[in-house]
Formats: sequence, C-alpha cells, structure tokens
Amino acid sequence: MLKIEQISKVFYPGTVNEKTAIEYIDLTVKDGDFITVVGSNGSGKSTLFNLISGTYPVTGGKITLNGKDVTNTPEYKRAFTIGRIFQDPTKGTAAKMSIEDNMVTALHKGMKGLKITLNASKRGYFKEELKQLSMGLEDRLKDNVGLLSGGQRQALTLLMTVLSRPQMLLLDEHTAALDPRNAQIVMDLTTQFIERYKLTSLMVTHNMQHAIDFGNRLIMMDEGRIILDLTAEEKKSLTVQKLVEMFKSIKNQEYASDEDLLTT
Amino acid sequence: MLEGIFVDGLIFSIMVIGVLISYRILDFADLTCDGSFATGAAVATMAIVNGTGLATALLLASGAGAIAGVITATIHNRLKVPGLLAGILTMTMLYSINIRILGGRANVPLLRIETLYTRFPKIFSMLSNPWALLVGTLIIVLIVKELIDVFFRTDLGIAIGALGSNEQMIISMGIDPKLLKVIGMALSNGLIALSGGLLAQYQGFADANLGQGMVVQGLAAIMIGEFLFDSNKISLITLRVIFGAIIYKALMFLGRYYGYYINLTPSDLKLLTGILVIISLIVAQTRNAASSADARKKALRRNKERREALDKEAGHVEN
Repeated sequence: MLKIEQISKVFYPGTVNEKTAIEYIDLTVKDGDFITVVGSNGSGKSTLFNLISGTYPVTGGKITLNGKDVTNTPEYKRAFTIGRIFQDPTKGTAAKMSIEDNMVTALHKGMKGLKITLNASKRGYFKEELKQLSMGLEDRLKDNVGLLSGGQRQALTLLMTVLSRPQMLLLDEHTAALDPRNAQIVMDLTTQFIERYKLTSLMVTHNMQHAIDFGNRLIMMDEGRIILDLTAEEKKSLTVQKLVEMFKSIKNQEYASDEDLLTT
Repeated sequence: MLEGIFVDGLIFSIMVIGVLISYRILDFADLTCDGSFATGAAVATMAIVNGTGLATALLLASGAGAIAGVITATIHNRLKVPGLLAGILTMTMLYSINIRILGGRANVPLLRIETLYTRFPKIFSMLSNPWALLVGTLIIVLIVKELIDVFFRTDLGIAIGALGSNEQMIISMGIDPKLLKVIGMALSNGLIALSGGLLAQYQGFADANLGQGMVVQGLAAIMIGEFLFDSNKISLITLRVIFGAIIYKALMFLGRYYGYYINLTPSDLKLLTGILVIISLIVAQTRNAASSADARKKALRRNKERREALDKEAGHVEN
C-alpha cells in the first residue's frame, strides 16, 4: 500500500533555525494495516503525516503509494488515495457552508463539473449517512457547519472523508481536541468505518491506551526516527506502563551510548 | 431622477456581485477590479464604435475582464505572491492597456451611436424613457443574478465556495485549488467588466479612470447588504447585494445633491465611502463580539452544570 524509503525532512536548511524533523525513516504499510503512532511532542509524527500526504516536499528519500512513486506528486492528487483528518475539527469542513453543501463536495474526489447533483435523493442519502453518527445532524442539513460543536464537526469530517472512499486514512490526533464523551463517539465511529470499508490506517495518538487497544501494529517515534515497532502479537500483552518503560529504556540506552562516546 | 438612481444602482450591482465572488466567496482580496471595470467599459465602447452588435460587445467586454482575472490568479498561483499584490500588478498594467484599447485616448464618447440605452426606449416603447431604461437594466441584472445563483448551486460552484471557506478541505477532496481560483477570478472579473460595459453605454462614454475606487465602493455595497438580512443561501446573498448596491448609490446621490447643506462637495464622496466601510466593519465586529461573548457565557454555564452533575455522581458513588 504505502512504502517509505529513507525519507528525511529538514526545515529551514542553512539557517540558525535548521531542524531535522525526520531522519531517514523506512516504513512499509500493508493493505488493511491499522498502525498507531505514538511519540512525544516534536518527535516528527505530524511531519511524517505531512510528508506522506504531500503537504511538504521531502528533503530526501522516496514515497511509493500503491506501487507508484508519488514523492513529487502534489497533495491534491495524493488525496485521491489518502483521506486525512486533523486534530483541529475546523480543518476538515467549510464553516461558511451548509452541511449538505459540504457533503456534496466530499462525495467524489476530484474536479467538479457544472452539474447540479444536490437533489432530493442525494439529501435522503446524506440523511441516512448522518443518522449513523447519532448526533441529530440528519435534521440540520441546511445549517452552516460553523454552528456545529467540535465533536459534531469532527464526526462530520470523518463521515465526509469516508464518503469520498479513500483507500488510506491518516488520523492526526483526531480526537485530541474533543471532550472525553465526544472523543469516545468519534473513536468508535472511526473503528466502525475502518472495518466496514477496509481502510488502511495510520493513527497518531497521545492516548497510550488507545495506541495499545486499537490497530495491529504500534510504532513509537522520537527525534525524527522510529524507535519502536511492535506487531499485533507483541501488542497483546502490552500495558501502558510497559510501553512507557520501553520508551525510557530506549532513551537511557541512548544516553548511555552518548556517555560512552564522551568518555572513550 | 429616482429611476436614474435605480439604473445606476442596478448596473453597479453586477460589479458588486463580481466583488462578492472574489472577496466573500473566494476570500481573495482582489484589486484587479479597479482595472477590469474600465477594461469592460473600454472594450464595449470600442466594439460598439467599430460596429459590432451590442450583445457581442458585452460578451467581448466580459471576456476581457475574465482574462484579467485569469492573469491575476495566475500571478498569485505561479509566483506565490499574495492575492492583493497580484491584483495591484494587474490593475496597474490594465491602466496602460485600457488607454491602448481606447486608441491612445483616455476618454471615448458614444455619441450618436446606438447603444443598449438608446435601444431600450424603442423596445419598451409603451413606457416613458426613464422607466424603459430601468426595466431593460432590471432584466439584464435578473438574468445575471439567476445565472450566478445556478452556477453556485452546481458542484463546481459549491467547490469554489468551499475553497474560500477552507482551502485544505478542497485539497483533501482531490481538487486543485489553483484551478478553482482561476475559474472564480475569471467569473468575478468577467462580471465586473460586464458592469463596466453597461455603464459606458448608460453614461455615453468610456474613461480610463472609470474603475478608480471601485473595490471600496463594492465592499461598501456588500456590507450595507449584509445589514439587511442574514443568509447562507446564494440566491438571497446575491439579492441583498443588489439591494446594497442600490442603497449605496442612493446614499451617494443624497450626498451629491443635498450635501452642500453641510458643505459637502462631490470630491468628499470617496471619504464618505471609506467611512461607511469603516463604520460597517465596526458594527459587524461589535455584533460578532457580542454574540461570541454570549456563546462563551453559555459554554461556561454548560460546563458548570456538567461539572456539578459529575460531582453529584461522584458523591453518590462515595456514599
């Protein structure tokens, strides 16, 4: 599905602010994988997503999507395959437009034509789809999206992303800005959709329990590298405490080897 | 006289719909307008003087405006400069081009030549002259409004609206935002030039300085319209733009004819327009602030209630 070879990203190269956000990462994502990504702030999780979806160009390396080299493909073209949901619930929907207008834009990927496709049968379909969110949005088709709460907007974004039938889902802490109840609802919907539409997914989360509970693989990032890669098998016996200990022991090893460098 | 204000306002309203598309729908602060309005007037005038049909002349005018819009959008897209600068560049270049179109003159009259506004009285011969002009203009404006309303209900139109509200969403839906901007800007400036072409025929001349200050006047009309009613329906938004345009022209008429009582001269009207926009902005801002303060209070109250409910639950568990 997705193959990342030796990609790296340097911000502001050649200035005092130069920062290496991603350092030669390799990652292969198989069809149907659901990978959770953890790591502290600034470890490069979001940058990795930005590189995969094409928001930023890579500094080096190669990205292959479905066997095609997409390293230099613009973001909007990669979006045909990749659906992305951001932490900020306002990023996925147009606030100044009604729910139905938002949904009709999301229905098909790609350039739109001069046809009016928003008709009664479409509205009926939208209502059916909105019902599964159980947020009462099916009765508010003509309301502006800006009137919705963060949880409602994020659920709508999720639904719209799924309606456009991507093959892959990039979830960038998409429940972090929501209150616990709404976060739970959005997370439940996410897993439902992933299973129903067999979406290959990558999910960044700060919730260690989520990282362990969901998905079939877990990767941990730190300082622009993948420092831990656990399979479904290894995840089964994992607890939050063990995960934190693993992180600490890896960090300690690093410090230890740094000390070695200094002393020898 | 009163009919004159309406004709003036209606012609102006087509321009304001153009400004609405760039500023409000696309969220693109476009200054091309000041140039493309005069381009429309110049192209229509020269076409009529050279004997093309009136419809062809208006089509050519809109086409020229659309090209100006495409140039601004392309400068913005390719060179990655802010829309404001791209618009200023096109506007400045257009000033020279407009004089070229007018054959090296800054002003070309349309005297003793048939224009739309000499033809309207013949078409509507049952009406008096001013009313015939008004009805003719109204029909053109209603056709333009209907076409724009339909356009913004198509998938393409909705996508252009979504682009102005959230560019990331358009990218995520696999659409090239640059292409949408080009289409939107072409439409916007096409309408602005059409309005210029009509005005030249109504007032009987084209002038290279015709477009000066059009953007601000357009914004003033949009803001006046926004005070009238609130809606997210395109048909009502274009309707309120037309009302706003007429009210703006009426205000300016009052300023021009009765302003001398308070020592106002016609040259003060630009100042008045600017002040009008500033007042509109202040009113809109206080309104926003009031409604968001209200929303904040409500949110705090909701939070408090939720916490109390949780505390109560926790209390029960402890007991």
